[in-house]
Amino acid sequence: MKGRVAWILIGLFVAILGSASILGMAKDTLVVAVMAPPRTMNPHGSDADCNLQIMANIFDGLLQRDADGNLLPALATSWERVDALTWRFHLRQGVKFHNGNDFTWEDVKFSLERLKEPYPVSEFLAFGGAIAEVRPVDGDPWTIDIVTTKPVPWFVQNLHQIFIMDKESTETRSIGEIGEYPIGTGPYKFVEWVKGSYLKLEANEDYWGGPPPIKYVVFKPITESSTRVAALISGEVDLIQDVPVELFDMVKSSPNAEIITRPSRRSIWLGLRNSPGFPGSDVRVRKAIYMAINEDEIIEKVMMGHAFPCSQIPDPPTVGYDASIERLPYDPEEAKRLLAEAGYPDGFTIKLTGPNDRYVQDEQIAQAVATQLAKVGIRVELDIKPKAIFFPEIDQHGLDFYLIGWFDGSYDFGRSFTKLLHTVDPERGYGGLNGASYSDPVLDKLLEASSSIVDPTLRADALRLLNRVAMQEKIAVIPLHYQEDTYALYKPSNVQFQPRPDGWIVCKDISFGE
Amino acid sequence: MCGGALKAPPCLISMISYIIRRIGQSVVVLFVVSFLCFGIFQFLGDPVLTLAGRYATQEQQELVRRTLGLDKPFYVQYAIFIRNALRGNFGLSYTSQVPVMRMILERFPASLELALVAMFIALTLGITLGVVSSLRPRSPLSRAIMAGSLLGISLPTFLVGILLILIFSVWLRVLPPFGRGEVMRIVGRWRSGLLTLDGLRHLILPAITLGLYQLAVLLRLTRGGMLEALAEDYTRTAWAKGLPQRAVIFKHALRNVLIPVVTMAGLQMGELIGFSIVTESIFQWPGMGNLLLTAIYESDHPVIVAYVMFVAGLILFINLAVDILYGILNPKIRYD
Repeated sequence: MKGRVAWILIGLFVAILGSASILGMAKDTLVVAVMAPPRTMNPHGSDADCNLQIMANIFDGLLQRDADGNLLPALATSWERVDALTWRFHLRQGVKFHNGNDFTWEDVKFSLERLKEPYPVSEFLAFGGAIAEVRPVDGDPWTIDIVTTKPVPWFVQNLHQIFIMDKESTETRSIGEIGEYPIGTGPYKFVEWVKGSYLKLEANEDYWGGPPPIKYVVFKPITESSTRVAALISGEVDLIQDVPVELFDMVKSSPNAEIITRPSRRSIWLGLRNSPGFPGSDVRVRKAIYMAINEDEIIEKVMMGHAFPCSQIPDPPTVGYDASIERLPYDPEEAKRLLAEAGYPDGFTIKLTGPNDRYVQDEQIAQAVATQLAKVGIRVELDIKPKAIFFPEIDQHGLDFYLIGWFDGSYDFGRSFTKLLHTVDPERGYGGLNGASYSDPVLDKLLEASSSIVDPTLRADALRLLNRVAMQEKIAVIPLHYQEDTYALYKPSNVQFQPRPDGWIVCKDISFGE
Repeated sequence: MCGGALKAPPCLISMISYIIRRIGQSVVVLFVVSFLCFGIFQFLGDPVLTLAGRYATQEQQELVRRTLGLDKPFYVQYAIFIRNALRGNFGLSYTSQVPVMRMILERFPASLELALVAMFIALTLGITLGVVSSLRPRSPLSRAIMAGSLLGISLPTFLVGILLILIFSVWLRVLPPFGRGEVMRIVGRWRSGLLTLDGLRHLILPAITLGLYQLAVLLRLTRGGMLEALAEDYTRTAWAKGLPQRAVIFKHALRNVLIPVVTMAGLQMGELIGFSIVTESIFQWPGMGNLLLTAIYESDHPVIVAYVMFVAGLILFINLAVDILYGILNPKIRYD
């Protein structure tokens, strides 16, 4: 008797547990599983994309980017470059912050000046440090000039990720409060953030661009990729970011899941020292390494087809990208010949350093490169380590040969080159991430010449020239591939979503289909 | 018995002095732990690189380093940390700029609940199955249980977690694969998932994953103890007296076996709270382990050191509590 009651209870319990998962709610909420949790609600507190993409839903910049990477008006309705140092913006009128405060030019001034504080505020120090002054033009509070301390040709290119904060509520609250409760002008208002669990946002019905189509958005961080995929397949979430290569087939086999991909902005490439005496100082050796690498094989075997060969560091929307640059062909025989000609008929030994927790299949790519180079006689010692150790080594500029990935947040190859390949010169802010102290006076000159050109078209031409010389003549780096950005949708939710080049989830552009 | 009427009984005095000594030792352990933590930071990533932003110049990086006091030598940094920690101030997180102890206490309820449920499952199932398999050690059922317990000990946690998600969330679709589900706010930032159906559903898979190893250990401990106890003279006497089976097994045999089992469970409790990192990461459980993992990923040193201190303190406390309770349960124990 007692036993039967227990069994009935257990049966009921199981039935309730099962049924609860079937009962759904009316669909006014989009649930997005992101791969990394947001770090802070302070929009200047982190320049990581996992944070910026959330901030882009709550805050506005002076400008914004659409799903193709084009620069569009946001809190500024139009802009122009007055001279090498001055940028003029016409501000949008009648915009309100989520707490009811009016948006004015003082908020812009306050937000940009806030970028200069080293800690505990800003991860945009370099950008903030270049701003000298923000002032209204001729007493008109809706037209402002932003003056930089030195020519910053990519200044406006970065304004989609510099978010404008409310001066009054930011000044009166502690840094802890600002980091937990954001007040912006953006399409979504903050509701609740339970760290590690979810961040809930609600549509801003008074948004200057019109109310967004979806009423509520919930961002849930799920760092473990197989769990993220399981959450999608079981319908717990509507949209996930980053489907790892090895789980692709599992998602495809599910009738409820649909995969969306696009080439990522990030290119993966190899940096190589060229200091005198080092084999890499001979451009024939650089070419030989380039031609000994079978990128098609890496894409097919290591990336399982989910990458796109690249011939240069920047991606198509970036200023300075040149479509005419082609990859050197894969030709191990020619590579051997070049090595012999350069005085290395028996090859040489070289250490390849790289991270194992930063890029898709990063460690495996390095292993594949090592195997391929061995075939032409170059013996590669692998030195693979966590990114927390790898990146400080990049900062020391002492590596010989390293694997790294890059995309430029401001869509500008000039800025990338300044950081990655210009001769290391900390005083002038050059070569901060030049891991192997690559140095070439011709390329340095080309870059420096481009930065004083005010006309954007002429400057783009100069950067394309720099790119061509670097990639075709000097083999400044050995390009491998662009990664692939992957998303998966839960089909029954019928989410209308177009992936962006920056990989951000911008919810005002997402809707539920009929 | 112990001493006269006016003086405290010597056994109580010896117990108090024992506790004081243990607390003293604990403080030393905490110092050593924090020192080791700081030592390891020297070899972890440099937080300044991310804090100054991807495009910062070296000069700006140095500015951030100075502002954070990270330019000072190791021992000075450590002394400053100890001075602040003694006042209960463990500093601000580098990435979120929120007091780290608040962040940890915010995550603690989730970890505690998960550990409690895991321990509950491990204790009830472990003891039950242990008793069952000890009664007829050679029966197929007992052999199956023992084989299962071997799996429980040897299967790595992440594999168990992923298999459970695959079976119950993806194939059968009866349980959710991640998160805490609906929680109720108890007081302040303390939220509980134990009071809602949705919260309970979310607890099942991670609790089983976390508790499986402990379950297997407790099962084997119970079974071993029971086999011994069932062969003892007093049990045979009980059988011979014609006592009902239930009384013999539970009152005579199991009661004696339980003391080491409960001690073991108590000691494991601290580990369940502190070392649930793998389980929390697979199930995206918003507990302390998950926080630690993110902090390591982001080189957020204040969070790491506060976490390690918190968990070390917790384990020391639980061990002390278990030792004291053990003495109360078993008066033969001497605190020397």
